[in-house]
Amino acid sequence: MNKNVSVFSLFIGLLGLATLASGLADILVWAGADPGFSIGILEIAGDDFFRWAWGGAIVAFGGLFMLAGLKNTDDLQQSATVLLGAAMVWIIAGTDIFARFCESVPAGEEAPEFFNSLSGFLAGFAPPYPPAILLLPFTLVVAYVLFTRRFDEAEPPSTADFPNRL
Amino acid sequence: MGLTADERWDIIDAITQRTVGTGTYRRTLGDALGDLTIQPLTGIPVALGVLYAFWSIFGSFAGSLVTDGFMVKLFDSSWLPWLQAAWPNPDSILYYLFVGDPAADNCFEAFGALTSGLFVAIGVVLPAVLIFYLMMTVLEDSGYLPRLAVLMDTVLHKIGLHGYAIVPAILGLGCNVPAVTATRILETRKQRFIMMSLLAIFIPCGAQLGVMLEVIPETVGLVMLYLIIGFGIFGFVLDRLIPGSNPEILIDVPPYRWPAWENVTRKLWSRTKGFLKEAVPFVLLGVLIVNVLYLTGVIAALADLFAPLFVTWFGVPKETVGPLVAGFLRKDLAVAQLSTIAMTPYQMITSVVLVSIYFPCVATFVVMLREGWRELLAAIAVLIAVVFIYGGLIHAIGILMGVA
Repeated sequence: MNKNVSVFSLFIGLLGLATLASGLADILVWAGADPGFSIGILEIAGDDFFRWAWGGAIVAFGGLFMLAGLKNTDDLQQSATVLLGAAMVWIIAGTDIFARFCESVPAGEEAPEFFNSLSGFLAGFAPPYPPAILLLPFTLVVAYVLFTRRFDEAEPPSTADFPNRL
Repeated sequence: MGLTADERWDIIDAITQRTVGTGTYRRTLGDALGDLTIQPLTGIPVALGVLYAFWSIFGSFAGSLVTDGFMVKLFDSSWLPWLQAAWPNPDSILYYLFVGDPAADNCFEAFGALTSGLFVAIGVVLPAVLIFYLMMTVLEDSGYLPRLAVLMDTVLHKIGLHGYAIVPAILGLGCNVPAVTATRILETRKQRFIMMSLLAIFIPCGAQLGVMLEVIPETVGLVMLYLIIGFGIFGFVLDRLIPGSNPEILIDVPPYRWPAWENVTRKLWSRTKGFLKEAVPFVLLGVLIVNVLYLTGVIAALADLFAPLFVTWFGVPKETVGPLVAGFLRKDLAVAQLSTIAMTPYQMITSVVLVSIYFPCVATFVVMLREGWRELLAAIAVLIAVVFIYGGLIHAIGILMGVA
């Protein structure tokens, strides 16, 4: 069990570092440190404040949350922090995929028809991808492990368990 | 005849034995996530993430998919040419009122009730409002909105409000009319007045946002930034000027839940229906009235009258007077009109901010009147002062930055 936990912790640690680095890279490219780059299937365009500065900050926070929850991932609260970090990546990846979907359904301004062809639609999802989409499958593994894990936190209710209840 | 105390207790015991169960509470991941989203250290980044998702989905759906993807093509390539060919006598007044400019090749610039009016109402505003209310309902029913209220409580107390003021503020981003009604969840007259004034001045409605996204997509962020800063500054000032109390709130925060889609669709339909009933007639009527005002020379006279104020103090062309008049009927319409006036990007930002803050649209005006005419008059006085000060301030910032 301990060995499993440590492998999982290592996975979260590496994922957290990669996520933090991706978020910071998004922000730096937007800030002008690089005119935008594409390596293989990875691309950071950095051409828009909303997507790359704001979105990059959210990815970076996601990485920080994963790293903050790294110690003792058997603990429910720590696991929730890791899951929250994964959810921050889902927000950016999900909205990126949705944006591609919305741009791929119509045929485009110049085309006479309204709807895109199937091949045109699928081409809209072709690489390169921003870092958040590449990180998405790894964060789903984290979510799967956390959701299928049993946490031994059975205890009588107390006010400490309900800080949100007044 | 009556029961004794012992008999009553026996009945209570019998009922509780049947209905009350006891056991061990097991805290879940959902509970822990719920806690994390109201603690500032983790909650604020999550709120930024939720807002990001909100605006990203809003822009992708309303902008890229529906309006740019289908509506522009439908209206510009099919509806406008058909109407221009089918409507008799392009030199007539009726043609000018309903079809607009005979030489126009797109519905934004034609400015007739059946061209621009219909395109703005159905092609631009409807998708924007639909997706806005869908996301708003999901946030509400999932249990995130009360958490946002708790999170925003400290910040909103600095401007005389409390956490629940976030509800009318977010509703106002859809439509100011239900938002003004929602200010009733605030306890004191002072709080309601502050919120109502800030709503009328600094919160652009979904219709306006949709049009802004369509005509000035690259500067919407800056316009919003100016509005948020203004919301904070003038809220702070109003809190100090207006007498009255600012009580604390008690919120019961529900656990996170998956929204029930039956409830979501019901709410979405009811809100969108209400919006359609109010917006579409106002947009069509608005275009007609503005066209009549142009035809009779009223707009030109007003533009000449206010030219010194607009050109010297606000730094925008005097032609923006026309859209400001249209803005009283529908602000989305006014932004659409602004897009056809030649000006620099900074003048466009200033003009859109001015249209947003200068006066509530007529529908909001009527609802505010229902809340009390004294409050309305006071809100208008605040509004005139804010427009004058803030409009001049934005111009001054532009001069200092060398862009105005």
